[in-house]
Amino acid sequence: MVDRRPNTAANGRAIANVRRHKPNYRIALYMCLLMMLGLIVMYAIGPQRAQVLNQAYGFDYDSTYFFVKQAVSLALAVGVFFAVSRVPIWWWQANAKRLFVAGIIASAVLAIGGWLSLGFVQCTLGACRWFDLGPLGSLQPAEFLKFGVLLFGAGFLAYRMKQGVVNDLYKTLIPLGAMLLLVALFVIGIQQDMGTGLVILAIVASMVLVSGVSARVGALLAGSGLLLGIVMVLIAPHRLARVATFLQGDNATTAGDASTYHITHALIAIGSGGPTGVGIGNSVQATGYLPEAINDSVFAIMGETFGFVGLVIVLILFGALLLSLLKVADQLPGSHEKLIVVGVFGWLAAHVVLNVAAMTGVFPLTGITLPLLSFGGTSMVFIAGALGLAFRLSSYTVHSTVNEGERYENSRSGRGLGRTRYAGRSRL
Amino acid sequence: MAIMCVALMVVFVIRLFYLQVIRHDYYVTKARQEQEKRLVIPAQRGEIYLLDDGKPVKVVMNQTVYTMFVDPSIVDKPDQVLKAIREVVGGNTVKGYADRIEKKDTRYQVVARQVTHTQAELIRKRSLKGVGFQAESARIYPEKSLAAQTLGFVNFDGIGQYGVEGKFDKALQGTDGLLQSVTDVANVPLTIGDKNIDIEPKNGQNIVLTIDRSVQSYVEQALADGMKQKGADGASAIVMDPNNGHIIAMANLPTYDPSEISKIQNFAQVNNGVVASPYEPGSVMKTFTLATGIDMGVVKPDSTYVNTDYIKVDDRVISNASKGQTGTITLQHALNWSLNTGMVTVAQRLGTNNTIDYKARSTMYSYLHDRFRLGQLTGIEVNGESEGRIISPKEAEGNAVRYSNMSFGQGMDLTMVQVAAGFSAMINGGTYYTPTVLAGTIGADGELKPEKDRPAYPGVIKSSTSEQMRGMITTARKAFYAAKDRKGYEVGGKTGTSQTLVNGSYENGQTVATYLGYGGDTKPKYVIMVQVSGKNKNFAGNKDANPIFTDISNWMIDYLKLQPKA
Repeated sequence: MVDRRPNTAANGRAIANVRRHKPNYRIALYMCLLMMLGLIVMYAIGPQRAQVLNQAYGFDYDSTYFFVKQAVSLALAVGVFFAVSRVPIWWWQANAKRLFVAGIIASAVLAIGGWLSLGFVQCTLGACRWFDLGPLGSLQPAEFLKFGVLLFGAGFLAYRMKQGVVNDLYKTLIPLGAMLLLVALFVIGIQQDMGTGLVILAIVASMVLVSGVSARVGALLAGSGLLLGIVMVLIAPHRLARVATFLQGDNATTAGDASTYHITHALIAIGSGGPTGVGIGNSVQATGYLPEAINDSVFAIMGETFGFVGLVIVLILFGALLLSLLKVADQLPGSHEKLIVVGVFGWLAAHVVLNVAAMTGVFPLTGITLPLLSFGGTSMVFIAGALGLAFRLSSYTVHSTVNEGERYENSRSGRGLGRTRYAGRSRL
Repeated sequence: MAIMCVALMVVFVIRLFYLQVIRHDYYVTKARQEQEKRLVIPAQRGEIYLLDDGKPVKVVMNQTVYTMFVDPSIVDKPDQVLKAIREVVGGNTVKGYADRIEKKDTRYQVVARQVTHTQAELIRKRSLKGVGFQAESARIYPEKSLAAQTLGFVNFDGIGQYGVEGKFDKALQGTDGLLQSVTDVANVPLTIGDKNIDIEPKNGQNIVLTIDRSVQSYVEQALADGMKQKGADGASAIVMDPNNGHIIAMANLPTYDPSEISKIQNFAQVNNGVVASPYEPGSVMKTFTLATGIDMGVVKPDSTYVNTDYIKVDDRVISNASKGQTGTITLQHALNWSLNTGMVTVAQRLGTNNTIDYKARSTMYSYLHDRFRLGQLTGIEVNGESEGRIISPKEAEGNAVRYSNMSFGQGMDLTMVQVAAGFSAMINGGTYYTPTVLAGTIGADGELKPEKDRPAYPGVIKSSTSEQMRGMITTARKAFYAAKDRKGYEVGGKTGTSQTLVNGSYENGQTVATYLGYGGDTKPKYVIMVQVSGKNKNFAGNKDANPIFTDISNWMIDYLKLQPKA
């Protein structure tokens, strides 16, 4: 039996020789800037959101409810970010499999709990995605699973790379495919969460891409991924409806359909914002016209509030954050670490691209949050944790590009000459 | 991967540029279409006042009431809802309300109407799912059916029907305000945006009527008592001030309660017969014939003629109702006994060679129609006024027989308001005042702003004629009917008993009783006309209408605090 456990000593050797230096603070900077922007939006539209919910569903939300809750989530997320960045990377590598299995078990418990209608499972419209933790709020195990897949997938691929069998059908591709299928079964099949499924696919795909797969195998994987996606769309009517809505575009005839309504109003919000936006507190679409105004649709509300200029700034911040991640990955000496950062990149990129594409009407609606900006605790904490991993690893970059995979052309050193180094060598 | 990332960002930026800069106007238009709503702010309907001793008192007011509805598709405890309806709004339910709650596939079912604020709050406290209230304005009538036919009512669509409500519907309604505003999804106006329009509603005009609440109330009671005593089916009365045309009371029984319009059974109940139902007034019209003769100088009250109880006009023989006063008698005597022959005689004397020729008929027509303004619309401010008819001598029907009949009140169709207004001119010195129910309006300051005077037409008859007529009319009353009158006042009047036209021929088994008179101290202060009728019943002016006149007249003397002559 093949031991798939990542050999940290073997894998870690590449960076074990690197002195720990100052991390790439830009990651933290961009993250915090985006978080602050999100908080401003919560402050501006939270009262309207609370009023809409109070009126329509008889809740009793305070007008600052969403702002305060988001502030708490952000504090928690920033805490997790720094906590993760304190943990040596070998610990994550050593526990990757356990985390992944825990994620699968959590998903299985959720599935069974939902099937048995147990009290701790939150279901909406037949999709059970949340654990109800009572006063502590709720938790989405799919987020946990993303984390598990990221670490476990990185370790697995790094091990196969070291063995030089990345392109081997039986040793690499079939186990990887089986893992993805298992995850897809829970996330897309049972939790009916296409968005999270796509994100997990993106995490794995971006790691596979830099693991040095051959073009033939890459095409094969891309093809089967596409096929899987199409099947998933076809077996679920609501996904089919969303694709149909997207294909019909502005000429959608299925007026009144929920997803058509959602996209139409996202476009109205963005379009009516104009070049400079209507200003903070003047958003009308947030008063109940645009569904999920503070969650999945926050990008559209920002478009209405801050206009073209504001959205371009948001995109630049995301782009800069993503490029920072790529640069860190580029300059990491070890392939295992590189894969982890690339996975984080895939995670973040998938969220941003899927959300923005849906809101601007260039891709069907998937129901996914805009990381760091959308209201919501679990998503925020886990993406911060993932960024924390990348932040930790940004302390171990080397001067020159060390890359077996894709190269980053405009690569500049992440470590300037003037940087101070930590005195001692640190254990990773 | 970095290229892909940057490329995607560029795609997004281009897309955003397209949406936010190039297509900005389009989306702004689209946003406006759904965000901007025009909310109508209903104007408050004007309220209606009657007078009470010259001071306005509100008798028709507005109240916010609620229509209670349920959304059966989300009602989760139908038993509780049903219980709440029965316990709190049991009296306001609509038919089949219990079944309506069960209609699970519908979203809106009205279960109760005219629910008060207190009732609505009681139900709201029970926090029942799927129960709602819609506020609307409704009329309330603290005086119940008082003057109902003059007031009219407001139908379920908020439109005034009949009476003053119908006549002044536009003025009472006012102009609705308009609020164009950006709203949230629940149509609550937001303060966002600079395109908001806010037009204040212009509330409806508050109207004050000349009707005196006390007089009206007494007249209605007197009519009801009289009807009960005589077994009549219907009775009407009008009381007006002969010196300005103001109508002080106007009533028709049976009437209706405007707050319960769903219980109205027939048109006659809501119809203001005094202005809307012309009839042949009968012998009360003899006063008009005498006034014409005296004013033309062809007769005097003590002019005599030979009464044989019969008089021939063309091929017809006209007889008196009460016979035996034969011989040479005065016209005053003819009036006292209500002799038709005397009136035909006056008509004859108006012509050349004692015939009711074209000249005689033209003179009569000119007085009745042009001077006393009978058979034409008075312009009274109550919906449904009827014109009535006086046939002109130019028409073939306006022949001598017709005019001899008209001289004692047959062959003409007149409303009570026309006769009472003409009669006022006859006894007030000869000025016709256009009858009116409109005293004025009340503005926001609560002050009565009097309506400008309606047209007055002096010289209907000479004041000397008017003087002589007052003498004749009081003498006629004193001859038989003054026993119960208050002493020391000038009270006069004339009876009328008219057959009714049923299918074009006079029906002897059904007669309408009328009494037309006036009262006052040194000058006439009120004119009262009373009518009593019934299906297939014979009512006589002296027996049936006169007691009601006497009742009202005596009460009026007290109410107006008239001073008796020494």
